[in-house]
Amino acid sequence: MKKFTIILLLAFVVVFTTNSIAQQIAVKGRVSDNKGISLPGVSIRIKNGQGATQADQNGNYSINAPSNGTLVFSFIGFQVLEVPVNGRTQINVQLQDATQELQQVVVVGYGTQRKVDVTGSVAQVKGGDISKQVSTDAASSLQGKVAGVQITNSGSPGGTPKVVIRGVGTIYGNTNLLYVVDGMWYDNISFLNPSDIESMSILKDASAQSIYGIRAANGVILVTTKKGSKNRTVIDYTGTAGLQSLSNEVEMANGNEYATIINELYTSNGKAALFNNPQSFGAGTNWYDAALRTAFITNHQLSINGGGEKSTYNFSLGYLNQEGLVKGNNYRRYTARFNNDYTLSDKFKAGFNITGVYNDSTDVPGGIWHELYSSAPVVPVYNPDGSYGDPYAFSLGSAVQFNPMATLAAYNVKGKRYRATGNAYASYEILKGLTFKTSFGGDFGEMEYRNYVGAYNYTQAQKNTTTKLTMGRVNTRNWIIENTLTYDKKLNDHNVTLLVGQSAQRYKSYTSRASGEGVPYDSEDDLYLKLATTGTVLYTDGGSLSTTASYFGRANYNYKNTYLLNASLRADGFSQFYGGGNLWGYFPSVGLGWVVTNEPFMKNQHLFNNLKLRGSWGKVGNAGVPINPTIVTVNNAASLNAIFGANQNAYTGASISSIAYPTINWERIAGTNVGFEAALLNNKLSIEGDYYNKITEDAIFAIPVLRSLGLTSSGVVSNQASFRNRGAELSVNWRNTTENGLTYSVGANVGMNVNKVTKVTSGSNPILTGATGITNGAVVTRTVQGRPIAEFYGYEVAGIFQNTSEVASSAQPTAAPGDFRYVDQNSDGLIDGRDRTSIGNPNPKYNYGINTNFGYKNFDLSLDFQGVADVDVYNANIAYRFGNENFTKDFYNNRWHGEGTSTTYPSANVGSTTNSAPSSFYVESGAYFRVRNVQLGYTFPKSIASRLKMSRLRVYANAQNPINIFGYKGFSPEVSGASVLTSGVDANVYPLYSTYNFGLNVTF
Amino acid sequence: MTLHQSKYLMKTVKVAVVTLVVTFSSCKNDFLDIDPQGEQAAAAFWTSEADATKAVNAAYASLRSWGNTAFPALAVESIPGDDAEKGSSPTDATYFNDYDNFTATSTQGQLGGFWEAQYQNINYANQVLDNIPSITMSESLKSRYLAEVKFIRAYSYFRLVRAFGGVPLRLKVPKDATEYNIPRASAAEVYAAIEKDLTEAAAALPPSYSGEDVGRVTKGAALALHAKVAMYQQKWSDVLSYTNQVMGMGYSLVSDFEKEFRLENENSTESIFEIQSALVVGNAPASNSQYSQVQGVRGVTGGGWGFNVPTQELANAFEPGDTRKDATIIFRGETTPSGDAIPATGDNPMYNQKSYVPFRLYVTGYNEGAQQNIRVLRYSEVLLMNAEAANELNNPVQAIASLEIVRARARGSNPLALPKVTTTDKAALRTAIWNERRYELAMEGDRYFDVIRQGRGAQVFGAKGWKAGKNEVWPIPQTEIDLSGGLLTQNPNY
Repeated sequence: MKKFTIILLLAFVVVFTTNSIAQQIAVKGRVSDNKGISLPGVSIRIKNGQGATQADQNGNYSINAPSNGTLVFSFIGFQVLEVPVNGRTQINVQLQDATQELQQVVVVGYGTQRKVDVTGSVAQVKGGDISKQVSTDAASSLQGKVAGVQITNSGSPGGTPKVVIRGVGTIYGNTNLLYVVDGMWYDNISFLNPSDIESMSILKDASAQSIYGIRAANGVILVTTKKGSKNRTVIDYTGTAGLQSLSNEVEMANGNEYATIINELYTSNGKAALFNNPQSFGAGTNWYDAALRTAFITNHQLSINGGGEKSTYNFSLGYLNQEGLVKGNNYRRYTARFNNDYTLSDKFKAGFNITGVYNDSTDVPGGIWHELYSSAPVVPVYNPDGSYGDPYAFSLGSAVQFNPMATLAAYNVKGKRYRATGNAYASYEILKGLTFKTSFGGDFGEMEYRNYVGAYNYTQAQKNTTTKLTMGRVNTRNWIIENTLTYDKKLNDHNVTLLVGQSAQRYKSYTSRASGEGVPYDSEDDLYLKLATTGTVLYTDGGSLSTTASYFGRANYNYKNTYLLNASLRADGFSQFYGGGNLWGYFPSVGLGWVVTNEPFMKNQHLFNNLKLRGSWGKVGNAGVPINPTIVTVNNAASLNAIFGANQNAYTGASISSIAYPTINWERIAGTNVGFEAALLNNKLSIEGDYYNKITEDAIFAIPVLRSLGLTSSGVVSNQASFRNRGAELSVNWRNTTENGLTYSVGANVGMNVNKVTKVTSGSNPILTGATGITNGAVVTRTVQGRPIAEFYGYEVAGIFQNTSEVASSAQPTAAPGDFRYVDQNSDGLIDGRDRTSIGNPNPKYNYGINTNFGYKNFDLSLDFQGVADVDVYNANIAYRFGNENFTKDFYNNRWHGEGTSTTYPSANVGSTTNSAPSSFYVESGAYFRVRNVQLGYTFPKSIASRLKMSRLRVYANAQNPINIFGYKGFSPEVSGASVLTSGVDANVYPLYSTYNFGLNVTF
Repeated sequence: MTLHQSKYLMKTVKVAVVTLVVTFSSCKNDFLDIDPQGEQAAAAFWTSEADATKAVNAAYASLRSWGNTAFPALAVESIPGDDAEKGSSPTDATYFNDYDNFTATSTQGQLGGFWEAQYQNINYANQVLDNIPSITMSESLKSRYLAEVKFIRAYSYFRLVRAFGGVPLRLKVPKDATEYNIPRASAAEVYAAIEKDLTEAAAALPPSYSGEDVGRVTKGAALALHAKVAMYQQKWSDVLSYTNQVMGMGYSLVSDFEKEFRLENENSTESIFEIQSALVVGNAPASNSQYSQVQGVRGVTGGGWGFNVPTQELANAFEPGDTRKDATIIFRGETTPSGDAIPATGDNPMYNQKSYVPFRLYVTGYNEGAQQNIRVLRYSEVLLMNAEAANELNNPVQAIASLEIVRARARGSNPLALPKVTTTDKAALRTAIWNERRYELAMEGDRYFDVIRQGRGAQVFGAKGWKAGKNEVWPIPQTEIDLSGGLLTQNPNY
């Protein structure tokens, strides 16, 4: 912080210096309203100076002003506008309606609504706040911006963040929220250049989401992209370049420490020490230093925006090149977006948006993070002869038989993706107020992947003789057709908007994969399967297809702009439930609002500019479930091939190894929301608060079934559970312009959410999950009635056994000194699986953000903070061991290594089955607080910009995640986990990094 | 708005809405009727001979699954015995020690894995038994298929009853949720069901196969397994009768004991039933046996993970000159008859040689030793069962004769080794036969249950923690009891 304060002070000094060279110039121009209509009689004066005038009949004015002065435009019914002269002689301005604060429009489902008329919880974020951040995915820029929205970033280049609105809404299948970009539906917006976004509207409560019934269970974000503007042409260029570096590196044991602790591991298991002279290894290899780098990132965007009376256009090109932290990892994205809107007549409008995206990546193996974490520091990266250092030479055993640099060298995987997506629409005003709109959206993509495993001989365990080429392709063909009729009517004090509509959607994807052995590799040009050894080429494919038919309607009514009523109903039919399920789901909503400030009795108060109370209820659905869960299919996995005959050939096997419940209902979420919105003190202070209760009914997922049924699936999919998310949100914003010209805004938001499972059909039987390699095959989460979804589950550690007599008198007679002593929860004198209990909650209770903006003269500064509190992370890295993996420095320093050496950390034997079993030892607080973004910009004076033939020139420096404060002992507490049921389990997570870059905005 | 305008408006709205609804409701139902893509609906299965063949194949394939042949099987059937111990590196998968020292409780994961694997075999068998009778197909093939899967079901129930005592007895595919949760049958009921399946299987199966059918269940397999099941119930005359039948079917021992376990002797004249496994190039899922991999020599490319290693006790147990000692145990520093030099240093002094596949046969991307068939029933075991039954039935002459065939092969080229057993004392001969079973069948997953069957559990394993009245069987997996809502009861003292 101190550093930035100093920068700010320096900035002031520079500005004051430039102030002293002022001269008097003649300024003229035209004043109009926001529709371009001239405003006669507007008064214009010079701020803090002498001289005033009025606009004439045509809105024209002229005045003598200091070249560095500021003009103040004021007119009754309009907001006061201050414009710095900056040496210009022609200044045309548009004044905004004073009631505009109340007229602010937000994008809602299938339309827009005045913010003041909204009865649900909708947050809008402007494009400028999104593109200001350096995130490559616009969703990531929302982190800390909106109360109740939890974003967990993925560190991998081009990665998509996980977004959760108001707690986990569903467990199974698709947990992505719905993004509607200009009418087309998507699972994520990683294809979108953040600079192309005009605004994002986050529909937070069920009543606002309900019009998107089918896919709204996880929340909805409506994205509007930039459109052209009339009668001008603007060329805009933005470019940034910067560096990303690992923040909060976890220090590992060095060579000497590693050898010491491995010797302890050996001797405690009754074997001879492995290393004769641990000291001889010194610092050894730091594998992170060897494999990671300060990575480069650059982003360029060029847009041309303009139009005439009849049509407008916006064309943009974007280029992103992001290196990963791991050497060799790279992601590039090229985007082109074109928007065209035509006004064919007063009544007939049409237009389209189209985006073309190409991205490619050079990937690194997901397991590299575990290799870097566990590789022995006693092994050199390279031997003196240039060959790779080989763990085999150190007799380290098979658990660490890898040199991560050899792993990277052997890995040759590339991905490519082509995508064309967009929509076209036409609208016609049949009668005054009655508009018919039809739109067609499409998303056509082609994803390619190839993996070449070459012939290499790097280390004893890292060698390969049979080369293998694998190629995969996924093509997607999605479309959506929607037709709506909207009717707007104002009759005396009654304002009505009616909407009816229909939608049809189709989602198809087709995946093919082929592999072959023996393909040579002299260059990329050899990578064809026709070069593979005869008989080794395998081909397989798969696909999915689903369709949706929907009908919906909505009525918005208000009386005297004071009493608000909004109601909607959507009916969705979804093909995934075909074959026994209930195809159709119905999703109603209703919202009521009371604009207190419009009441006559509020006329004479001056505190509130706006005060609204609102309440709503709605239902939404989730269809992101396995396709056709009621249809039992034949299991024809190749693992069911039987082997017969003298030559032991494989013969196709197939049978039934699953069961299905005959009927499945839509998963439904019913949400209630009450809230208020207030603007005070001349709109300088705005406050918004919400309380919500969201209940997921008939949640669809797999519950475990008796294993004596002999199924191969781990459970049976059906409507199995109900759970609840309850919480509150508060946002406070203050903005002001001080006398001396400092404009600033400070916003703070906090969301609180408590998640609880209210019912599971398996009764008190928990749904145990997380049985993966990273937790040594042990189950680490459970979902059980009365507790949060997927809470951490394991033994409670009471201490460390110090000596054999402690062991002998305990419930763990086979333990060794240095092992965990667990709490005997059921007091049966024996520690086993029945003694496991709740040990943590991966669902964060609090998400908060503080966002500030300062503008003074030509400088602008924004400082954003963000954090998460009351959340747990399961650090699976510590016990993810099979042999001689490395330990963290923290573990080394604190480990038990003899009686009295530690009462909290176990011995080097932490990887043993007993010690590595999920326990409270591995659960740590995942709370963090970070400086999310800092940006300092300087806009050059017009005089300089115009000399360069620009209308605007701005330079800035930006830092993302420069300061992160957390107690977690892993790389980053931002852990998303593979699924809802393993969320917060950290192993192999792409670590957190900080990005520093410089940027340039030029407008012509 | 005038009345006229409003009427006109309503009309327009109606027309528009009707147009919309008509346009889209006409295709409404077809539009949403979409079947799973690339998946065959179960309702469309069980219609042809090809479907029957595939379903039988699935039952065979299930036998080589992880739970049947790897960790769960080793934990439940091998490591608790005195011939084998955990192996691998000291800190890896230490839960195996809970089986070795009898501290495993009902929540220990391998129990559930073993349980599930057996019931998967049983489900595949039940699917065939329930569904193929109504298929129009070759009746002789149909009856053979039914017999084959009855053997698979019997074998799986045998492994269950031996490990857990009475278990839920599913002889049909449950038709709906009301049949999912059933109580444990008694051990006697399970044995009766096994014997019924084996009797029916033996009656319908051919004595042998040729060509591409080699590896399927034979009449000899059904009889030999029946003998073994009878032996566990001490029905000695049945054992004698079934083994006598098998001994009349032309089986013979492979002359070199070590070679019997190499790839060239898969489905040999000694083989009665083997779980067929292969490395099918380009088909890793079908090459999924990890039997050899998990037991393979650790730290060598083409070796394996080094679990389930022979104990020093086993090495010491062999009589001097017994060729089976070297053929059963890979010693650190030796060179195997197949030519692999075993590193002189490493985590373990010994590895299982019966599951060993020469390192050079390893192919990147496949499991080490995926080729190795798992020898379930060998002719030598039939001879030893015959000997044991004959002795119990007071026919030492036949007992000694059968025993001698096994010992003669083990003698190899050294006529002075392994002197012929000559005692006709019933107890002494019984001990000799029991010992012979240990030498002959070591590391093949029988020793632990043999000792219990022989009533010597406390005597042999007591020092390791084995307790009579408890450890004769393993606990029923706790998750299964929980999911049954308490309908399943736990074994005593767990």
